[in-house]
Amino acid sequence: MITVNNIGKAYGGVIVVDITQLQINVGETIGLVGNNGAGKTTFFRLLLDLIKADRGEILSKEKNVATSEEWKNYTAAYLDEGFLIGYLTPEEYFYFTGKLNNRSKPDVDEFLKTFDLFFDGSILNSGKYIRDLSKGNQFKVGIAACLLQDTEILILDEPFANLDPSTQMRLIKMLKELQEQRRMTIFVSSHDLSHVTDVCSRILLMEKGKIIKDQTTTEETLKELEQYFKV
Amino acid sequence: MLITLLSHQWKSFWRSRSAGKGLAVQLFLGFLVLYLLAVAVGLGFYLNTFIQKTFPGKDVVLVFCGFILYYFFADILMRFLLQDLPTLTIQPYLIQNIKRRQLISFLNIRSLFNFFNLLPLLLFIPFSVVIIGGKFGAAASAGFLISIFFLTVFNHFLILYIKRKIIVNAWWMVGFFVVFVGLGLCDYFNIFSLTNISSIIFSKLIYHFWLCFIAVALAAFSFINNYNFLLKNLFLEDISGKSKCRESTEYAFLDRFGNMGELISLDVKLLLRNKRPRTALLLSAAFLFYGFIFYKPEAIANGNYGFLLMGGIFITGIFIINYGQFLFAWQSSHFDGLMAGNLHVRTYIKSKFFLLTAVSTVIFFISSLYGLLTWKIIVIQAAAYFYNIGINTVIVGYFATRSYKAIDISRGATFNYQGLGASQWIYSLFVFLVPMAIYLPFSLLINKWAGIFALGIAGLISLLLQDWWIGVLTKQFFKRKYLILQGFREK
Repeated sequence: MITVNNIGKAYGGVIVVDITQLQINVGETIGLVGNNGAGKTTFFRLLLDLIKADRGEILSKEKNVATSEEWKNYTAAYLDEGFLIGYLTPEEYFYFTGKLNNRSKPDVDEFLKTFDLFFDGSILNSGKYIRDLSKGNQFKVGIAACLLQDTEILILDEPFANLDPSTQMRLIKMLKELQEQRRMTIFVSSHDLSHVTDVCSRILLMEKGKIIKDQTTTEETLKELEQYFKV
Repeated sequence: MLITLLSHQWKSFWRSRSAGKGLAVQLFLGFLVLYLLAVAVGLGFYLNTFIQKTFPGKDVVLVFCGFILYYFFADILMRFLLQDLPTLTIQPYLIQNIKRRQLISFLNIRSLFNFFNLLPLLLFIPFSVVIIGGKFGAAASAGFLISIFFLTVFNHFLILYIKRKIIVNAWWMVGFFVVFVGLGLCDYFNIFSLTNISSIIFSKLIYHFWLCFIAVALAAFSFINNYNFLLKNLFLEDISGKSKCRESTEYAFLDRFGNMGELISLDVKLLLRNKRPRTALLLSAAFLFYGFIFYKPEAIANGNYGFLLMGGIFITGIFIINYGQFLFAWQSSHFDGLMAGNLHVRTYIKSKFFLLTAVSTVIFFISSLYGLLTWKIIVIQAAAYFYNIGINTVIVGYFATRSYKAIDISRGATFNYQGLGASQWIYSLFVFLVPMAIYLPFSLLINKWAGIFALGIAGLISLLLQDWWIGVLTKQFFKRKYLILQGFREK
């Protein structure tokens, strides 16, 4: 699905991403862990062609993301508020994203019904623009808009950080279903080690831009990660 | 307490993010303000000679008197468009142990530090002191000074009051424009003359010092009025109107344009729901009245078509100039999302062209009313219009691909130089130079009409090539995509 060839990115002499070779297969759920500044978000931005790589390339379905726009058809992402349009109501934003992905209004409405629990009554018909929602609720909007796109690749940056506990559990359940039922390829970065090992089938541990550990999740993984992050 | 609050304001001004950035812009602004002040002072001292030259044989004092009310009338519109409300600055203080009356006093005093309050003083004081004082003595001079000072205060608080009212109820805006335009039209068509009224009142003031207390009373009234309004409405909810229920809107007629229509409706919402773009829109509407300045009967009679054409370009193209200079930057807060979304850059750029063209077309049709003055204006405006939608849109789009500065759309536009970079300054040069470069050769070699037609035809040809231009701009965009994205992420 995704091949990373010798990609590198540095800011002012500091290496932020430095990955020689990485192969991601269809249906894998990738968990990215690492301390602040390890390069997780930068790697996602490279995947989405939002920053220019100093060297190397990322291929999505054998096509370079920096030269082709095709990956946009089957990739959905939510990194931060920069993906939301603050002056729209949540509904308008969903219709907007739906429209860009060829989903009609009734279609979107139908989809949103399945999110009743996830939204917990504080998103739809709230009479607010997205910019007036709380951080957590903004995040819910972003995640829902991603799932609405019905894509093959899903990228979420620290999705658990701003959510309340019940929503975190619901999100975990949804991600698992997406992987099992639709064979979606999912990227999740997180500081919550137990969540990320719970959801992901493969864990990438990053440090100073490099992937220092790449392994399939087993029952030992959580313990090993805790060992690594121990102070 | 007031001093503390004011010192916080001082700090917030100098420590704001935009203040530290870009020394060149700071210097330029500093010079600009100094220059304007110098011009005002210079004009103030030069006013005597200036009036003598412009209106030979007329009584200088009488002309001056006639000008005062006229100035304050224009001042109201200028303030309405450009003066900011000092509302948000009090937010952190509302929860502190500070009395409400103190906060309101602070708000009022803070608001007085404003460019628009300095301008009339600089402009009128020299003349009032030197000429009026010299001819009619100290009492007359003092009367003028007091009147001018308090008329400034009157305007100041009147505008604050109106603007605050508009936040609560948008109909006040309609009312304001109806009254203002009504008065303006009455003056334009000589139903009554502001100049005459002004000269009558102020020439009386020379001999009756007490008349200046009318201005004092007016100022006191507008101050107290504003004060009481604030006292009743100091709660943030009321003033910022946040309690309002936001509703979803869809523009069904845009549906047929597919993704492009969706992007256009996004732009329309951006224009209507955010402060700074809304100001840009309002300014475009206000520029419609510039016709009364550009399309002077003398200019038409003298065949001053180059001047008229410049006016036409400004009037029909003001939205392109105003909105287009930040074409992509308006969306800087969610540009990441747009670029990662399922959306082709070509469609995105095309939607921008569509929006600019559509709004300019509306402006063109409204401004065609100036054709009532003479048919020539319609022809000139049509040429300007084709130039604007054919060529100016391309120029603006090209500069947009070279503009890397983010904009906070929720903040006011006045003296807000956030987002301005070299490309905007250069663009403002191009606004003049390109049409001149097309117009001048033809008008000098053949005649002025040839120049006008050349401009219109050039615009039409470029318009037919629009699809090709969009391709070119898309390529330009991709060349600098990362720079734009990176710039927009740095708030």
